[in-house]
Amino acid sequence: MSNTIIAIIIGFLVAPLVGGLISGLDRIITARLQGRIGPPVWQAFYDVIKLMSKESMVVNVWQAFCAYAYVSAAAIAVVLFFLKSDLLLILFIQAVGAVFLVVGALSSTSPYSQVGAHRELLQILAYEPLIILVIAGIYLETGSFKISAIYDWNQPLIFKLPFLFVALGYALTIKLRKSPFDLSTSHHGHQELVKGVLTDYSGPYLALIEIGHWYDVVLLLGFCSLFWATGAVGMLALLALTYFAEILIDNVTARMTWRWMLGYVWAMGFTLCSVNLIWVILG
Amino acid sequence: MAEIIFLLIVVPFIAALGCLLFRIQFIRASIIIICAGLLMGGSLFLIPMIPFAYSPGSFFGVNIHEILQGADFLLLLIIFYFGIKHKNLVIQALSIFQAVMLGYLEFFLSDGGGHDVVFYCDHLSLILVLIICIIGSIICLQAIPYMKNHEAHLKIAVSRQPGFFFVMLLFLGGMNGVVLANDMKFLYFFFEVTTLCSFLLIGHDKTERATRNAVRALWMNSIGGAAFVSGLVYLYVKLGMLDMQNIIHTTPQAGIIVLPMALLCFASFTKSAQFPFQSWLLGAMVAPTPVSALLHSSTMVKVGVYLVLRIAPAIQGMFLSQCITVFGAFTFLAGAALAVGQSNGKKVLAYSTISNLGLIFACAGVNTSEAITAAIILIIFHAVSKALLFLCVGTIEQHIESRNIEDMRGLYTRMPLTALITVMGVITMIMPPFGLLLGKWMAMEAAARSFFGIIMIAMGSALTVMYWARWAGILMSDPFAGKFKLERQPVLTWFALISLSLGAASLSVVSPWIYKLGIIPAMGKDYLSSYALDFGILENSFGVFAVLPLSLVAVFGFLIAVLAVKGATRSRIVMPYLSGVQTSEPRVFRGPMNQNVIAEAGNYYLSSIFGETRLTAWINIGAVILLTLVIGGAL
Repeated sequence: MSNTIIAIIIGFLVAPLVGGLISGLDRIITARLQGRIGPPVWQAFYDVIKLMSKESMVVNVWQAFCAYAYVSAAAIAVVLFFLKSDLLLILFIQAVGAVFLVVGALSSTSPYSQVGAHRELLQILAYEPLIILVIAGIYLETGSFKISAIYDWNQPLIFKLPFLFVALGYALTIKLRKSPFDLSTSHHGHQELVKGVLTDYSGPYLALIEIGHWYDVVLLLGFCSLFWATGAVGMLALLALTYFAEILIDNVTARMTWRWMLGYVWAMGFTLCSVNLIWVILG
Repeated sequence: MAEIIFLLIVVPFIAALGCLLFRIQFIRASIIIICAGLLMGGSLFLIPMIPFAYSPGSFFGVNIHEILQGADFLLLLIIFYFGIKHKNLVIQALSIFQAVMLGYLEFFLSDGGGHDVVFYCDHLSLILVLIICIIGSIICLQAIPYMKNHEAHLKIAVSRQPGFFFVMLLFLGGMNGVVLANDMKFLYFFFEVTTLCSFLLIGHDKTERATRNAVRALWMNSIGGAAFVSGLVYLYVKLGMLDMQNIIHTTPQAGIIVLPMALLCFASFTKSAQFPFQSWLLGAMVAPTPVSALLHSSTMVKVGVYLVLRIAPAIQGMFLSQCITVFGAFTFLAGAALAVGQSNGKKVLAYSTISNLGLIFACAGVNTSEAITAAIILIIFHAVSKALLFLCVGTIEQHIESRNIEDMRGLYTRMPLTALITVMGVITMIMPPFGLLLGKWMAMEAAARSFFGIIMIAMGSALTVMYWARWAGILMSDPFAGKFKLERQPVLTWFALISLSLGAASLSVVSPWIYKLGIIPAMGKDYLSSYALDFGILENSFGVFAVLPLSLVAVFGFLIAVLAVKGATRSRIVMPYLSGVQTSEPRVFRGPMNQNVIAEAGNYYLSSIFGETRLTAWINIGAVILLTLVIGGAL
């Protein structure tokens, strides 16, 4: 029982702090790669605090509903992850948040929000099946969808499911809003899309969405951690390497179109997943 | 027993006749309301009585098997007549073929029947009866104000409602017959009744398009009827009986029953409008909306999935079962892809039905305890949510005179409650902790070992989210400060919409107990129950879905979000961002020469990828190949 409560507290309170810290580190490393010094590591928190203190403005009151729904769903998904619940269920709850983010953007008539929302949907369309297949692969290998059982597996999954890990990497890049997939919105404004799906969220509501994003980052890194669950050192090394690769990819690629994304991610992703699934089924 | 069977099957026929004979609005409405009440009550009375078997010997003094023979041939004669009337050779040929097969079965093979148990009701039948009687009745009730509006709108002088409600009620009786019949000759009769009813309802408006689509529905379903009766003859020749329970549970040699089972599956696919037979269901939307709601949710298409679920225990472990998984998963994906390409709201709903039924078939094909549970959960919740969404679209359509999703932009400001209920319907379609998502979750976990199955289901699932989310989003798309005036609708319309939306939500919360009390007994001895139930948490050896805790968290989250909305009504309402040149109108910005320009944005329908013209032919080819596999694999 006390374990459960600790897990809930970690998932609910510590996870977003870690997520915010990762964002801060991300910005410093990105800056160094670009020959800049970059902001302090706590910058992400300063941003959110400042946004919180701004006047609350909305185009449509349902935006407030959607912002809260997004952050709640993201938080519940992370809490369930720390409770070592069912992977597919966690993915579906995470998807609730993603959908509400889109619905909130659609509730404004600004073309920037609208187009951003549709691009966000296309991003969901690109990454969601891959994550489902990754989860299916993990199940085929370990015989369970439950994180508790997967963490107890006696060898790192990455050796059996390397291609699925790469496929998860595609999903991670899209979810982290990194180039070449930062179509719907990105950390810096777009010329053609302003802030895309986030355009009409502002002030405290934007802050909520930022916090929701921190939860999402933690959740996705949690998914990655399943691939090396036998020891803390190996797990942290894998996560650090993966995230650094994401930053590198972000900095060396340009933003592409949604058509390219859908074609490329589905073609590559499904090939990788199929090969690995067949391998697991036969092996 | 006799009374309840009479109530569920014969009373709707009598009420239907009443609607036809008494051509006064008030009396007709009363008959429908009474009949709906009787059906709902009757279906509830059924709960403590199951399981039971019942074989009436005679009906008002006449041998029931003789009645059935007469009714069967009369039905085929009527279908043949419509074949002649609409000059459709396929219908004529298929009805003659069916009559010949039936005649061979009745007069040369069988000795007048009477050895098989006629009606059998177990938990699976009960679940279907509840769906038919409750949801079907709600739809019929909503049809009363709808049809009045409909005829006023079309300016029809002599009301055709008596005929309309005659068929609607007949349909409910026929459906109850399908799910209660155990003697497959009776099953076949009711199966054909639903075919004829759907033909009559689709053609109700008597426009050229309605007639064309109705005829298409008739010939496509006649193919199913022909497959069905062929399966019956084959079964009788080999086994000498047509008792469904007996056939499933004695499971003779697999080699004998695999072909008739494949034929029955084929008949189910036509009934459930699986590819390549989807066009009859798409064409069905020319009919008044209550018809679509009825066909898509509680009747007709559910016959197919019911039948396959019924025979699933008999085909466990067979290659046929695997084929059904792949075929179903393919339909799930293809239906979802086509739905993405549609801006016509009713077509989105139609493709979504086809797609969901595909998923149910896929589950039946996987044929494990989890998969069958998933299938039954999907049947229940799909019926509720889809009926709700069709009635919403029908209500919206009568109001804004369009079924195009783009015309529903910002509908919230014009029809706040209807729009909210529609959004609610969409949410119950795709989000946890609601029943459809629970079913989809079970389906995925059950199908994870089927390589082709899981890949297609994963893709289809993501496409599903896409077409629903954008629809829900644009219903809200307008600057809005939080104050609205409720629109006016007839009482029966509100009753239908509100009861269905509350039903979808509350049934989801109690779904673990539906599983325990309904689905485990429905699977009976054929499947070991898989999920353990603890504090409303469903858990098996490899998965866990905390239905009740998540529902509570969802309610809590919903309340917080609603409070946030209340809080937001005090905040400043600003215009949507238009690069800083917006005017006081939300969609208008100051363009060159200080002229006002309207900024417009439309949904992505991606018709270059997911358009009907682009995909349908390929999907049909794929489906025909898979169907060949289903039947050919059985030979």
